[in-house]
Amino acid sequence: MHNIDAHEFLNFLLNELVDILEKESQAAKGSSETSSPSEKIANGPRNLQVNGVQKEPLITWVHKNFQGILTNETRCLRCETVTARDETFFDLSLDIEQNSSITSCLKNFSSTETLNAEDKFFCDKCCSLQEAQKRMKIKKPPHILVIHLKRFKYIEQLGRYKKLSYRVVFPLELKLSNTMEDSDSEYSLFAVVVHVGSGPNHGHYVSLVKSHNHWLFFDDENVEMIDESAVQTFFGSSQEYSSNTDHGYILFYESIASDNKS
Amino acid sequence: MIHSSGNGMMSSSAASSSVGNSQSPGLKTYFKTPEGRYKLHFEKTHPAGLLHYAHGKAVTQVTLAQLKEKPAQLPPTPTGSSSAGGVRSAAARLLGGGNGSRALSFVGGNGASKAVAGSSRIGSMGVSSSSGSALCSNYDGKGTFLIFNVGDTVFISDFNSQDKDPIKSIHFSNSNPVCHAFDADAKDGHDLLIGLNSGDVYSVSLRQQLQDVGKKLVGAQHYNRDGSVNSSRCTSVAWVLEGDGAFVVTHADGNLYVYEKGKDGTGDSSFPVIKDQTQFSVAHARSSKSNPVSRWHICQGSINSISFSADGAYIATVGRDGYLRVFDYSKEQLICGVKSYYGALLCCAWSMDGKYILTGGEDDLVQVWSMDERKVVAWGEGHNSWVSGVSFDPFWSSPTSEGDVESVMYRFGSVGQDTQLLLWDLVMDELVVPLRRPSGGSPTFSTGSQSAHWDTLTPVGTLQPAPSMRDVPKLSPLVAHRVHNEPLSDLIFTQESVLTACREGHIKIWMRPAHCENQSSSSENVLSNSLKEKPLLSSKVGSYKQ
Ligand SMILES: [Zn+2]
Repeated sequence: MHNIDAHEFLNFLLNELVDILEKESQAAKGSSETSSPSEKIANGPRNLQVNGVQKEPLITWVHKNFQGILTNETRCLRCETVTARDETFFDLSLDIEQNSSITSCLKNFSSTETLNAEDKFFCDKCCSLQEAQKRMKIKKPPHILVIHLKRFKYIEQLGRYKKLSYRVVFPLELKLSNTMEDSDSEYSLFAVVVHVGSGPNHGHYVSLVKSHNHWLFFDDENVEMIDESAVQTFFGSSQEYSSNTDHGYILFYESIASDNKS
Repeated sequence: MIHSSGNGMMSSSAASSSVGNSQSPGLKTYFKTPEGRYKLHFEKTHPAGLLHYAHGKAVTQVTLAQLKEKPAQLPPTPTGSSSAGGVRSAAARLLGGGNGSRALSFVGGNGASKAVAGSSRIGSMGVSSSSGSALCSNYDGKGTFLIFNVGDTVFISDFNSQDKDPIKSIHFSNSNPVCHAFDADAKDGHDLLIGLNSGDVYSVSLRQQLQDVGKKLVGAQHYNRDGSVNSSRCTSVAWVLEGDGAFVVTHADGNLYVYEKGKDGTGDSSFPVIKDQTQFSVAHARSSKSNPVSRWHICQGSINSISFSADGAYIATVGRDGYLRVFDYSKEQLICGVKSYYGALLCCAWSMDGKYILTGGEDDLVQVWSMDERKVVAWGEGHNSWVSGVSFDPFWSSPTSEGDVESVMYRFGSVGQDTQLLLWDLVMDELVVPLRRPSGGSPTFSTGSQSAHWDTLTPVGTLQPAPSMRDVPKLSPLVAHRVHNEPLSDLIFTQESVLTACREGHIKIWMRPAHCENQSSSSENVLSNSLKEKPLLSSKVGSYKQ
């Protein structure tokens, strides 16, 4: 297993932030309970967050920016009952293919999958394992869409993880129509985490970040301005053995208000 | 028969053709269409061991160039204006491709009659099994050549020979060549344009290059020397149809320049500062002695590809900002345009009759724009990555043309970075516009008119926003075939074949079904048959509605 994975770190970071924010909020709430009404007003802005129903989970800025809702729809092939289960996410992990695009990976992500043989679905109505069709849809798109490319894959024949250097192109603008019904809302790429190296156990991370309309390249303490067209050098390679080992690994897209729409 | 060694799969399936490539394991050497099999006929590539660092920096583009007999003689003029028009539309569409920065481009003649000669030679030579024997060793005669760039080199291959290797290489020491265009009817010797990554542009005589034994460009006229006018990358070069040696060059900074061949450009070649990067503006040179003679600022970001309409009246551009724009070339006026669903557009091509424009880009869609209706009439869904090349098939005619001529109208192809070639039929009657919501959401955006509607033409010069997914009819490909191992950069239709090219400089020639089955048939017959079929299209040439 790779030791420090940027995707694992991102998950850790976001969850840790939520924990800290929740603790802070609870602490503020605890202090407000013992305080007098006048102090409560004085502390107004901080207390607003906890003035709701007590058991309601706190909506932090992490949630507001990163959280989206996926609907996992399963249709039992015997009774036709559709079971929909919502789940929240901070990022989408996509399976990748050689010479494909993010658009195509997203299409595959939400394509219909048949659950059968070893992988049957327990239907509550039939009270038994049944063949079923499963589909993932984005119910609520996040403000910041984080896409994780599954470049580290466990290869059973090898008994270990392998890095997929596949060429997966990502556009600077993106829409989620394939994964969402009725959505033409547009996203704009603003950051890319790049994994440098040929294998999963070693390597280096660099990143590209768009700031004030300029792309910046971050490599440890070195920062340099790069041309927008340089982003495409991190798509991956169309040949398995290539000297290019710098591959886009995590993509950050920000929702932009659609212009010129009635 | 040449069989590749060490590739059993290829050898067995390529028994009837001369496939000599061993670089394509697992790729089929044919694909099926309703009208029959397209078979891999031969391949063209560059010598192995090319400097690999150069790869990726310049995507291979191909120009198919037709050299006539050296003593300039007029080819036979076809009788009947309708058939001339038909072939003209076909060949000129190919010319349009050659003009653009599309990777593969066939360059026919400028005029109607000359274009006939061009396509007839492609036809007769394409099936020739001789390897270049028709060519004089000193290249004084006629011939058809593939011109393609790889890394810092421009290679020239003999299209009529099945020899895989190029016959000539031209090395550029300062910057990589990235685009080229050929004019079969150039008045003086210079018929080939080459644009560089540095922004520099050269015009040369193709024949002179072939006759020279060196590895350098010879007898070249140099424009935009060291990027003195514009130092951003050239993205495409194109000859202006009947433009008396005028040509256009587009750059990565959103500018297009009009040059005049052979003019030294001694005058002041500076242009005023562009006030608004987002607005279209045209500036003319201050001095009559300067070259370029004008600058069109088209968009913010790169112009990725251009294509002239068959009659040369219109020029379409696509670019980084995702917009397709159509200009009246002589009036220097923006006519219409539309934004991609999302992302940059990478390629564009006109239909032979000028009624439709295909675009392809980073949304993985092949878009069909109607000039008559001023709207996107179809989105082709089928590529799994960006669409890098599009082209109508000007030689295809509907098999049902006897009964219902009205239904099947166009065949087109697209190639993508998913390594696939897709073929499509555009049947206007079968296109069903999806349900539209009664409340707003009209895809046609028009300034000052909230009630803009599908059927209402927008004012001249209006750029429309991206249509909504639910408003555009979808097309599915007729054929999807993985043709190379590397992402593709373009395709071209010739009378007897389809050419595909990948970014790394491998080119495959796929013979059309009729020619696969009857390769020994007289090429003259093939030509005359196809001429008879063409008047169907010819009546539509130039029937622009504005
Ligand atoms: Zn059930």
